[in-house]
Amino acid sequence: MTEITNDRELHAALNGLGAVQQRLLAAGFVKSVLHLCTDERIARVLETAADPEASDAALAEALKTARATTFDCHTRCGSEGDWLEQAGYFVARAAVAALTPLGQMPGGIAWQAAMSARMAQTSKSIVTGDNTAGLESENQYRLLAGFLNS
Amino acid sequence: MSASFERGINAFKEQMDAPVAAFFSSCVRCGLCAEACLFYTETGDPKFTPINKLEPMRRVWKQEYSFWGKLTGALGLSKPVTDAELTEWETLVYDSCTLCGRCSMVCPVGNDIAYMIRKMREGMAASGHAPEGLIGATQRAVTIGSPMGVKLPALQAQIRHAEKDLGFSIPVDVEGVDYMLLLSSMEIMNFPEFISAVARIFRHAGVSWTISSEAFEATNSGIQIGVSEIAAELVERIVAAAAKLKVKYVISPECGHAYMAIRWEGPNLIGRRYDFKVVHILELLDELRASGRLQTSGKETQRLTYHDPCQISRRGGVVQQPRNLMNQIAADFVEMPETGTMNWCCGAGGGVSSNERADEIRLKVFNRKKKQLDVIHPDAIVSACSNCRIHLEDGLEEYEMDIPVLSLTETIAEHLVDREQKEGQQP
Amino acid sequence: MTETELLMWARGPALQVATVIFLLGVLVRILEILVLGRKASLAEARGSAVAGGLRTIVTRSIPDRGTLQRSTFNIVAGYIFHTGFFVVLFLFAPHILVFQDVLGFSWPSIPTQIIDATTIVTIIALLAVLAHRVRHRVMRFLSRFEDYLVWFVTILPLITGYFAFHRIGLTPPTLIAVHIISVELLMVVFPFTKLMHAFTLFMARYYNGAIAGYRGVNS
Repeated sequence: MTEITNDRELHAALNGLGAVQQRLLAAGFVKSVLHLCTDERIARVLETAADPEASDAALAEALKTARATTFDCHTRCGSEGDWLEQAGYFVARAAVAALTPLGQMPGGIAWQAAMSARMAQTSKSIVTGDNTAGLESENQYRLLAGFLNS
Repeated sequence: MSASFERGINAFKEQMDAPVAAFFSSCVRCGLCAEACLFYTETGDPKFTPINKLEPMRRVWKQEYSFWGKLTGALGLSKPVTDAELTEWETLVYDSCTLCGRCSMVCPVGNDIAYMIRKMREGMAASGHAPEGLIGATQRAVTIGSPMGVKLPALQAQIRHAEKDLGFSIPVDVEGVDYMLLLSSMEIMNFPEFISAVARIFRHAGVSWTISSEAFEATNSGIQIGVSEIAAELVERIVAAAAKLKVKYVISPECGHAYMAIRWEGPNLIGRRYDFKVVHILELLDELRASGRLQTSGKETQRLTYHDPCQISRRGGVVQQPRNLMNQIAADFVEMPETGTMNWCCGAGGGVSSNERADEIRLKVFNRKKKQLDVIHPDAIVSACSNCRIHLEDGLEEYEMDIPVLSLTETIAEHLVDREQKEGQQP
Repeated sequence: MTETELLMWARGPALQVATVIFLLGVLVRILEILVLGRKASLAEARGSAVAGGLRTIVTRSIPDRGTLQRSTFNIVAGYIFHTGFFVVLFLFAPHILVFQDVLGFSWPSIPTQIIDATTIVTIIALLAVLAHRVRHRVMRFLSRFEDYLVWFVTILPLITGYFAFHRIGLTPPTLIAVHIISVELLMVVFPFTKLMHAFTLFMARYYNGAIAGYRGVNS
């Protein structure tokens, strides 16, 4: 039974996976924080990301949508930031990572999706003051372990 | 003090110096500056000709600082500048100029037009003709400490997040270290992984550093809007924090105008030299690379190009360092046609991206960058300014180009040799 | 007024007045710039401002490739008429004699056939430049009365000089008087217009190069 208990193990294990596996796992990371994003486009692209049979064309289209959402959700330079909305931005970024072709993101797409998903929780916790950010990494370890052991 | 037309004209006058007079005296209306400016090349509208953006200021110079101008003025033969004209010029000075300085590089008589636009903004702001977005950002910068309203608890949350991911702590308010890192609100809000990347690199390279809880903001809205008093106040906060923590260096992060503000304008704004040196993060990373303290392994195999943030490269002088770093981590690094100090602006700096009114034109002129990319077909673009980064992403998406944008610092961090692991493998 | 009186007037009082206006005007314009001063920068220098300034005075004469491609006509025609004008002004034997009177020394001249051809080429270049100014959307937009006046007072001495040399239209003394008066017109207009760039561009290029050189950039 493989167990993942820290980020070093997470990073190493993720980068040992193939393209489709990384995408599916990344989609799982996004799903976990999906509720933090109010833009319904992300829910739609997530379906494509989570589909092991998704065609290259569908993935490319979904990636475009995810990128557009990222831009629409970000806080523009100089404007007043809202951390709850920023959470949505990070969820969108995690979705972008999940849909990016492997090799285009230094560090690996699943890893970047995991980091962005955690960032979404951190953004929310800036407003709510809770510790969900810390719990998200535990969640991700479990997700990966479950994936590896199945 | 409130804005007024008289204050604006006085501000124009205060900005006159020998260079400005030499520049206005020398302009022969050849129009070469237009072909260097992406706002003209991508719209074909001659009003975006850089020297034209200065017309009201030129008339003030002529009428107040030249004998012939004063004479014709006294005889009632000249046209004084009006408030209506300043209103008309607002979009030229703020929406369609990023202070990129490309015009300054091509003018055959040597005019530094961007230098003058920066000065003109002082008059525009003083007369109440600055864009809303910038006014809001500046107010927030003064009252909250960040143009985007990022308060210390938010930064602390981002730092805690980073510490959790990294497994080690990030130094805050540590006295006596060598370097104090500044961060732009854009990074804290949109690219907080920059904090982790820097922390990892510094730990790897053995850099002693800290962030100040009292002055962490790098962005200087005062420079962008053109209100030197505010720009000076924002610099003073950094100077005070650096003195309190007794640091030797202040690091300017991946933000173009922040570097210009703290490195080149800062001491002149506050009227005295610093007790510390300013380095751009890329300068420091290159020093670490050159001295062997920055060890990387593996290279990016995808085709990478580097977008020069104008304020860092052409206007800032940090040109070769990012290239040294790119060569370190990129197996296939290709330069854009017209690169280095002649690279084209992304179109979003100098307050343009803070200004919703400028959205349409900003996206339109991105076409210039697109044309550069169409020549070299990179797989990804690397840059070192968060504003360039987000705007490049926006532009690429608008023009349906599937090219990710990466941060140079973050990419380097991804290739750091794991020293602990490496040491474990020593015989 | 007889043609001899006209010529005497052109070479005498008119030239004196024009010279005074020219020299005094140029001096005043340059002093007006210098008197505004330039604050020294307190930021730590990365490079030399002086070296940068001197460098840019020279290198700004060489356009970068992109600019040359985009503004080929402007640059090429500009160089042709500037070079032609200076060749005719400084290397034509009768002109050199005038300079010798004023300065006390002279220099070699070049054959008149070459001067003649250069004059034609320069006139053509100036006509082309005017057409360009009127037709190109940026130049048309930027241009003021002064630009057209300056064009006129620049081409006039070339045309009147050509006519004088080839004795076309009027008697030789009149032609020469007209030519000299056209030069005096240029001299008088000079300090009040963009023609000052002939002197101030050295200052502008210097400041540009100094500002950039201080930051370690070659501009």
